[in-house]
Amino acid sequence: MSAARLALLLVAVTACALLGLSAGAVSLPLGEVWQGLWHGQGSGAAIVRDLRAPRVMLAFLVGGSLGVCGAALQAMIRNPLAEPYLLGLSSGAGLGAVIAIASRAGGPWTVPLAAFLGALAAVALVYRLSVVSGRRLDPHVLLLSGVVVGAFAGALMSAVMVLSDAPGVRNAFLWLLGGFGTASWRALAVFAVYASIPLAMLLFHARSLDLIALGDEPAHHLGAEVDRIRRVVYLCTALLTAASVATCGIVGFVGLVVPHAVRTMVRPLHRSLLPLVFAVGGCFLVLADVVSRTAVRPLEIPVGVITALIGVPLFALLLRRTLA
Amino acid sequence: MGGIIYLTLPRRHRLRTLLFSLSLGAALGTGLGGCQRAPAASGQLRLVDDAGDTLSLSSPARHVVSLIPAATELLFAIGADSLVVGRTRYCDYPPAALAVPDLGDGIKPSIEAVLARQPDLVILYNSGQNAAVAGRLRELGISALRVNTDALSDVPRVARMLGRLTGHQRGADSVAAAFDTALASATRRVTGVRPKVLLLVWEQPPMTIGRGSFLSELVERAGGQNLFADVASSSGVVSIEAVAARNPDLIFTTSEGPSGFAGRPEWQAVLAVRERRFLRVTGSEFNRPSPRAPAAIRQLTAQLNRVSR
Repeated sequence: MSAARLALLLVAVTACALLGLSAGAVSLPLGEVWQGLWHGQGSGAAIVRDLRAPRVMLAFLVGGSLGVCGAALQAMIRNPLAEPYLLGLSSGAGLGAVIAIASRAGGPWTVPLAAFLGALAAVALVYRLSVVSGRRLDPHVLLLSGVVVGAFAGALMSAVMVLSDAPGVRNAFLWLLGGFGTASWRALAVFAVYASIPLAMLLFHARSLDLIALGDEPAHHLGAEVDRIRRVVYLCTALLTAASVATCGIVGFVGLVVPHAVRTMVRPLHRSLLPLVFAVGGCFLVLADVVSRTAVRPLEIPVGVITALIGVPLFALLLRRTLA
Repeated sequence: MGGIIYLTLPRRHRLRTLLFSLSLGAALGTGLGGCQRAPAASGQLRLVDDAGDTLSLSSPARHVVSLIPAATELLFAIGADSLVVGRTRYCDYPPAALAVPDLGDGIKPSIEAVLARQPDLVILYNSGQNAAVAGRLRELGISALRVNTDALSDVPRVARMLGRLTGHQRGADSVAAAFDTALASATRRVTGVRPKVLLLVWEQPPMTIGRGSFLSELVERAGGQNLFADVASSSGVVSIEAVAARNPDLIFTTSEGPSGFAGRPEWQAVLAVRERRFLRVTGSEFNRPSPRAPAAIRQLTAQLNRVSR
């Protein structure tokens, strides 16, 4: 990537971050944001420091992670439609959250934790179903397993919702639609530490992804351990997505649209593609979050709704341009 | 947004009355005036319900299935308790109502369970999902009354409708009149500053009550001020930063509402959370508009006074 492009990217990221810090339920001018970040007192400073700063950073991290997951899965499964939620874990997370609410389990972290465990259970099941003939992870079987496990978890979730009379069970849907309303420094720290491992692993396997994208046979001849790489990539993306669902619900289309958009701008070598997808995905989600909390102030629109509203037209546009 | 999504889901009375007492319902309910008399035929009881349907009974109902907790409570209050042959699983007041057979859900109820009770009148909440239920019951020759029970003003209005249909007009009139008087006397005229109350009904995501809900009315009449009175719908998802910026004096929760939020770090940006200024109520008078609303208002007034002192 050229220096000019890198500078442009940095400017874009900074601009998104500043917009994210100054826009919200109450608009704060940039001067006040700056003061609030470093040495301000009062409610404006508390909003910027305790609520908005972690929120913007969390949205950036999650957006970037989902983008990277999407790009890696698209290469690994060799299917342009692959995206993190196709693999069944969103329904698994939803099931976990609904069970937690229906069993009236208290505690501030119960729902996210249950969602995470639900997603992990779905991942384990999909993985088990997809590992065929010894240790080979078949991409087609993987997709189908994701679909059936997702459908099954979704059915269980509906059953729990219908049968439970716990108050708020239906609000689980709202929670699943996604949002960063409950972002905190602690949530940010937990997610950042956790996500750094699979992100680093995926970046480490960037060259292998280039090879796998060529096809199993050529990749094998070029020295790639196709089966091992596929398992690693799948587990990394699944673990990353599970954590993001637990953090902010299901935020769709970031993992689908962003990699495709970025591929139209740079050569599809994953060493440069993945970092760029991370940055663009992060900016995309930060902006979507700004829309979610400013469009109908003081109410919030779930951010997953916003990403779909922006993502789908964008995707359609890309599709037309690619076909033309 | 929350309301829209929520409305597409199957609902339960308790949650519905707690969270989604529709502003639309309240507006329609008071506007249309369910007590309007349709052109009278001789010897016939005729009445237009909140959905706009005309009910026509040749004599007062003898067997009533009530599929709204608020309506069940009213039937007992007006003295028609012996007529009630079925209720929802959420009809828990008065305690004597628990002796009535439980037919399950009130929104999209089991028509078979209703039929088994052989009612001549079924009372349904006026929601889109119940329109088909009402139609099916009418085809089967059973009168179906659909009413809104969302605002405090629905209490005397629905009481009178039920009184006419069950032949307990006098009981209904006295309940309605007593309610109006008690409501007027419980309502505080506040001249000074009203404490700002955040009505928090769910925490993930943070959901609050807007002015479209009777809960908002309870707080306002108790001398408080709903922090999100500018939200027209009955409820909505709000951001913690909006709460922090508006700086509530008190945070109101119900026994079915959120419990863990006070321990979460992001909520510490709200002063009232740091200072633990909470107002937690229990009791079904906060779940639905009922003749107990004036007592609920007095209870809130006492707690608001205690805190603001």
